[in-house]
Amino acid sequence: MFFLKEETKVITMHPSYFGPNMREFLIARLNEEEEGRCTGDHFVICVMDMVDIGEGRVVPSSGSAEYTIKYRAIIWKPFRGETVDAIVTSVKPTGIFTLAGPLSVFIARKNIPSDIKWEPNTVPPQYTDHADQVIEKGTSLRLKILGVKPDVAAINAIGTIKEDYLGPL
Amino acid sequence: MSNFLNQDFGSDEEDDDFNPVAAEESDVEDAKPQKRRASPEDAADDVKYDRDDAEDNDAKEDIDDDADGGAGDNDENGDEDEEDEDDEDDEQAVERPRKRRRGGVHSFFEEEAGVDEEEDEAEDEEDELAEFGTEMHPDDLDALPAGAETDDRRHRQLDRQRELDATMDAEKQAQMLKERYGRNRAAATDALVIPKRLLLPSVEDPSIWGCRCKPGKEKEVVYSIQKRMEERPANSRNPIRLISAFERGNIMQGWFYCEARRQADVTDALEGIAFYYPSQKMTLVPVKEMPDLLRVQKSEELMPGGWVRIKRGTYQGDLAQIEEVETNGLNVTVRLVPRLDYGMNDDNAAMLGPDGKRKRATVNKVRPPQRPFSEAEAKKKHAKYLSATSGLGGKSWSYLNETYIDGFLIKDMRVQHLITKNVNPRLEEVTMFARGGEDGTANLDLASLAETLKNSTAEDSYQPGDPVEVYRGEQQGLIGRTVSTRGDIVSLQVTEGDLAGQTIDAPIRTLRKRFREGDHVKVIGGSRYQNELGMVVQVKDDTVTLLSDMSMQEITVFSKDLRLSAEMAADGQLGIYDVHDLVQLDAATVACVIKVDRESLRVVDQNGSLRNVLPTQIANKLAPRRDAVATDRNGAEIRNGDTVREVYGEQRSGVITHIYRSFLFLHNKAQTENAGISVVRTTNVVTVSARGGRHTGPDLTKMNPAMAMQAPGGGNPNMPPPRRGGRDRLIGKTVAVRKGRYKGLVGIVRNADDEYAQVELYTTNKPVLLQREILVPKDPISKQTLDIGGGRPGSRVPSYSGSGAQGGGWQGGRTPMAAADSSRTPAWGGSSSRTPAWGGLSGSRTPAWKNDGSRTSNPYAEGNRTAYGGLGNRTPAWNSGSRTPHDSGSGYDAFASGSRTPAWGAAGAGNRTPAWGGLPNSRDQRDFDDAPTPGGNYSAPTPGAYGAPTPGASAPTPGAWAESASTPGGAFSAPTPGGLPKRGGYDAPTPAAFDAPTPAMGGIAATPGAGYGDDDGGPRYDEGTPSP
Repeated sequence: MFFLKEETKVITMHPSYFGPNMREFLIARLNEEEEGRCTGDHFVICVMDMVDIGEGRVVPSSGSAEYTIKYRAIIWKPFRGETVDAIVTSVKPTGIFTLAGPLSVFIARKNIPSDIKWEPNTVPPQYTDHADQVIEKGTSLRLKILGVKPDVAAINAIGTIKEDYLGPL
Repeated sequence: MSNFLNQDFGSDEEDDDFNPVAAEESDVEDAKPQKRRASPEDAADDVKYDRDDAEDNDAKEDIDDDADGGAGDNDENGDEDEEDEDDEDDEQAVERPRKRRRGGVHSFFEEEAGVDEEEDEAEDEEDELAEFGTEMHPDDLDALPAGAETDDRRHRQLDRQRELDATMDAEKQAQMLKERYGRNRAAATDALVIPKRLLLPSVEDPSIWGCRCKPGKEKEVVYSIQKRMEERPANSRNPIRLISAFERGNIMQGWFYCEARRQADVTDALEGIAFYYPSQKMTLVPVKEMPDLLRVQKSEELMPGGWVRIKRGTYQGDLAQIEEVETNGLNVTVRLVPRLDYGMNDDNAAMLGPDGKRKRATVNKVRPPQRPFSEAEAKKKHAKYLSATSGLGGKSWSYLNETYIDGFLIKDMRVQHLITKNVNPRLEEVTMFARGGEDGTANLDLASLAETLKNSTAEDSYQPGDPVEVYRGEQQGLIGRTVSTRGDIVSLQVTEGDLAGQTIDAPIRTLRKRFREGDHVKVIGGSRYQNELGMVVQVKDDTVTLLSDMSMQEITVFSKDLRLSAEMAADGQLGIYDVHDLVQLDAATVACVIKVDRESLRVVDQNGSLRNVLPTQIANKLAPRRDAVATDRNGAEIRNGDTVREVYGEQRSGVITHIYRSFLFLHNKAQTENAGISVVRTTNVVTVSARGGRHTGPDLTKMNPAMAMQAPGGGNPNMPPPRRGGRDRLIGKTVAVRKGRYKGLVGIVRNADDEYAQVELYTTNKPVLLQREILVPKDPISKQTLDIGGGRPGSRVPSYSGSGAQGGGWQGGRTPMAAADSSRTPAWGGSSSRTPAWGGLSGSRTPAWKNDGSRTSNPYAEGNRTAYGGLGNRTPAWNSGSRTPHDSGSGYDAFASGSRTPAWGAAGAGNRTPAWGGLPNSRDQRDFDDAPTPGGNYSAPTPGAYGAPTPGASAPTPGAWAESASTPGGAFSAPTPGGLPKRGGYDAPTPAAFDAPTPAMGGIAATPGAGYGDDDGGPRYDEGTPSP
């Protein structure tokens, strides 16, 4: 689910940036560091705007300045039960690896409908029900997130396509 | 039972006595007295006795029931001992000289003891039949009423009684029963359910005395008492007034217990009993402790489909499934996975001992592994033992007197040879029993398995906070979290439903853990997957399928073996070793751990081969080096955490987890084998992406405005090279010596400082100290000269930067050189340089010099000013720097025409400074050399500089000339003309210029002369020169 979240970040600026364009530097740095970041809980999709760029404080002994920036960002936090579209990145006998945006979702064999079978002899290997449903690398899938496992700087999720309206698009 | 036929009082019977099915069959006991009572002859006499007994008996039973949680182990211990004896018996075929009579009437006593004395009455009935019919103790016969000596009669009596009962109407019967048991407190109450505590013995009940006897002979003592009671029944002249006697086997060795109203009765009854120690005082058992004396555990009820283990023999410890339980509860048919070697290992099968007997197989024979029965293998060597029988359900094989169906061994076993408690079947064991299941679990009767497991649920498998669900009982469906556990009672706080928030207690067997798909769990026990972490992908009743974090494999385990886990990293540690750790196996081998078993590690070494190692085989664990760096195929830097892809081969890709020399250990989550680890060489990979999170700090080159400003200009070549600290870059380089006695030799720099480098020459292999300047870095292989920028740290060329600051004017190598000769004037420096320019200066033979405008004329040579002029000419910067507007304006002209004499003249004239003025006089270079005094220097160049541009400017500007004319340097002007002859074309403008100044010069005749001389050339000038 997407959220608009207000967050705070402290950015340290090297003295060489001090100058008239300081603000731009700060913003550039903020965007660079924040956008696409995964906190283990959510992904920062996009920094919307700065609510407040605080006063810089020179850090004693280093000469750098710290800026506390309040900004709003669009974040995506995957939830259990959320239905997302994903692209298959690889297909293994144990299941299907997909990417739903920045989130890697694994669909275990158990969570694939039993009529969709592992077909290792095709090139590339695929899951198929020998009808219109073929899941191979690059296929778009609609899946439901079953569980989300946060990591330090990544999120791993497992999903299922064993429900109505889920599966290859 | 084989002995039984031979012996009436067979020891076998005793075994049966100790079967664990015992204690709770109270209905059997109930039936007994009734049956006995049924004989009308002794009814009257017996009634009182019976009533007493019944009352006591009931009380005991209740106690039993009440206490049936506790003492089961004891029973088992007893059983085992008995079995041991039993085995001995079997082997030796020697019966124990144990005399035991079982009078039908007085069998009561055993029942009353009710602990070890089994209720296998159903079976014993037959025994009794035989006994009654054939052999009856005379005392018993005495005791029995007339007509009671044949069992047949007793049966008929029973039948008759039953008929009578049946004919009586229910009310009457109830009345009679009530009358009969009216004194029983339990029966007296109207309540259907009597609280058990009311059934506990009180002070009004008979007391129990504990008496000492010889340890191990307790049972015999009890038998003796029993025998005595049979001899002296209650209605005899000298009755034994004991109500019961019992012993507790192993747990109370040396003790037996007698129940009686008075101690005197006990003393009386025990008089002369063998092994009884009358000298030791008997103790009265406190009322409170009485129930404990008779505490027994309810024996396991075996159900077909349940799981048991075999206690001993080939199949010791093996899991078996109960196929059938015989009605007596003693014999069980079990299904086993056979352990057969089909005669493959007993080569000496036919070997006979010297006495003609077959030798006993060696005891330490390796136990064959569990495998389904294969008739093909059996036929190979043991065809003669094999015979097929087609049964009802399918084909079965008889092999070595055992029956095999569907590959399983079907075996009849006695209950006491089975472990029925805490069987803990593991899933992988159980899967062997699954018939026809493709993956082993399909046909598995998980329900029965779960049932078995439930009975053995360890208390610690529920911990506070576990989500649980009550799945049976009246609170079925409750969902909550455990709060605490006491024994097998779990307190749980209900989290859902109407009862939410309440805390209720539930027995452990009605609970199961509850997981949701997506939960992150850890396997805590009960299977080989212990400590595996994973995410739940499927929950089906009691079984949970989870996806292992480490191996990405699906694992099916029971929910009781799982616990929610907050651990995020792939767990599984063996001591200090963890999955994905890098370990050193020996000096040359490192390996990455891919699996941690309980005792060993599975690793993939640097060559990509898999091995199993024990922790002891590991030299040490290599701490991850965060700064480890390597280069990929393209020479790009790769570090831990970068994603790389193999160029050749399987094109494996992954994130670098370890860098070891030229080997990379990659981890790829999408790869299941080897826990995602693969080994590649650095030279075989290309970088796909550098680690995303790599924090490089402020990128000054990109964002620093100062840098950004420079960037568009194409960079400043004169930018001082970044100062490098630390190691001298020359160290380790292959260099050639350019000069000196080692010239041309090649070596490697071992050490270097600002001035000198220690070079180890290839030839002498001896370090020599050489000046850095004479070393040229070479490529070690191609021997081509390398360009090491800023070859030495801390360049000695301060002027380099200095000149840079002055602008781009100082081009060419000369400038620094000049600077290098620090104290000299730039001009001098220029001249001192080894470049042709110098030659030009000195010899003025070089056309370059001509171009530069420095005439070859002697005056120039003499007049160092020429040098200035030359320099000036060449330095636009000087022009720009010049303060004279017109000068600067014409600067380029001057440059272009810099070589013109007039320019020179101008240069000469430019020396307005006194210093310059003085200079002209001292024409020789020595003088000029002296000039270098800083002050002079500066002053000197400045005019020179002016002079330099001026010439050009001077050409057009008469004024300039005028000035120059005015200078005493008129003398100079003399040399200028000297150069004139050489370039007539230029002369043309000059004269005019000269002309102009000349008037200014006025007084100096020479100048005009010079001016004129311009036209004609040198001679006139020459003339002029002498004139002053």
